[in-house]
Amino acid sequence: MAQALTHAASHSADDHAHDDHGGSHVGLEYHPGLPIPNGKLIVWLFLSTEIMFFAGLIGTYIVLRFGAPTWPLPREVHLSEPIGAFNTFVLICSSVTIVLGLEAARANRAGPAKGWLLLTFALGSVFLGVKLYEYNAKFSHGIYPWKPHSRVYEKPDLNYAAAVRLRLNDLESKLKAEEDALNAKLSPEAVDADSAIIDVRERLAVVKELTDFELEQEKTAATNSDNTVRHVALQELADRIMPLPTGHGHEEGLNDVHEWFKLPIVIPGGNMWASTYFLLTGFHALHVLIGLIVFAIMVPMTLGVMRAGIVENIGLYWHFVDLVWIFLFPLLYLF
Amino acid sequence: MSEHAHAHAAEHSEGSHDGIAQYIYVFIALCLLTTASFFTYSDYWPFHEQPKIGWAFMMAVSCTKAMLVILFFMHVKYEASWKYVLTVPAAFMSIFLILALVPDIGLRGHWLSEERELYMAAPRAPHKATVRHGDSPHGRAKESPSSGESH
Repeated sequence: MAQALTHAASHSADDHAHDDHGGSHVGLEYHPGLPIPNGKLIVWLFLSTEIMFFAGLIGTYIVLRFGAPTWPLPREVHLSEPIGAFNTFVLICSSVTIVLGLEAARANRAGPAKGWLLLTFALGSVFLGVKLYEYNAKFSHGIYPWKPHSRVYEKPDLNYAAAVRLRLNDLESKLKAEEDALNAKLSPEAVDADSAIIDVRERLAVVKELTDFELEQEKTAATNSDNTVRHVALQELADRIMPLPTGHGHEEGLNDVHEWFKLPIVIPGGNMWASTYFLLTGFHALHVLIGLIVFAIMVPMTLGVMRAGIVENIGLYWHFVDLVWIFLFPLLYLF
Repeated sequence: MSEHAHAHAAEHSEGSHDGIAQYIYVFIALCLLTTASFFTYSDYWPFHEQPKIGWAFMMAVSCTKAMLVILFFMHVKYEASWKYVLTVPAAFMSIFLILALVPDIGLRGHWLSEERELYMAAPRAPHKATVRHGDSPHGRAKESPSSGESH
């Protein structure tokens, strides 16, 4: 109602301006700064700061990515393009449902408006769920944006070989302690038949084998006079632990065969990739989460024509979140 | 004046009346455009060798999608001129920000110190085909990396 009044006021002012000859009565009319409700103005002001916020993030990503010496392929960092496309579709659907909710609210059909709102909430939750699944796929492969967890190395150099060696030594001492504990617990005749100890011994053998190989490669890399041989030695080590996928297939490395290995891996450009990917998608997911919280708050309301303004405002925010993803999807998954 | 207002009101109600159909059209367009940018991922995309064509194509598609969402879902098409005040300066600032970062960050690979180059990430795959033999402990078949590189 208030909106309609201000609308009419601004229009009559326009008309007066057109056929204004004397103009003595114009100064008495109330004329708001902008012909929109205050709430909507605030949302738009907020969105214009959001444009700059995400432009900053996306812009830095673009500049960092194209200035980078090398950048991992989506397959190398376990990024699935079809999943990203699915999430894009989900967000587009949710944009449609919230705008249909707004139309229902404007027509004073509170029931359908609430239905559309709930559907939007569900679609947003699906998006976040898929995002969580994707994050988990990265984490399980040792790709984290921060150091104590991240096992990503930029290139197979001596620094990398040393990290592998440390991890192997660590594993060996842990497994040996486990074996000793089992030995002490079990009777001498039961020791050789126990499945736990057989498992530990098998693991120890695998660790031992790779340690031998690692030491050999590290020695070659440190002492050989031929630069190419040095390089190749460490590359073979990295390939054995986690081969970079070639073509559309995905070869299995030791990290995949033995999930408990958790050895350092080489993904050229992987650390910068992880930093930008988690920052961009993390801030976007945070925006989705905030949108979901507002939807949850709105669920108990009666979304008639009196509340159409609120639906419009959260709708504007939600469309903006969709907008950001429209750019993030090709930039992160397809470039 | 009343005639004018009446005409405006009629136009307005008409606009919101076929609004639902319009939303559906925009939705279909958005889905088709998403498929179009996803198409660059498929094997049928003819420009896998020149990724820049794909990038330009995807950015064009994304900008089109963004304009559709802004104009029709956010109703910016039907707003008064205040929309320019809030969106154009913000858009300019975002573009300037990116341009300002290009010399120092975007072109950082052009002026590398020797030390920096030494510790820089380098692509791993090219050496693979030249060095690896079929005698790997897991019996993996050697693949040509060229197909993977071009993506």
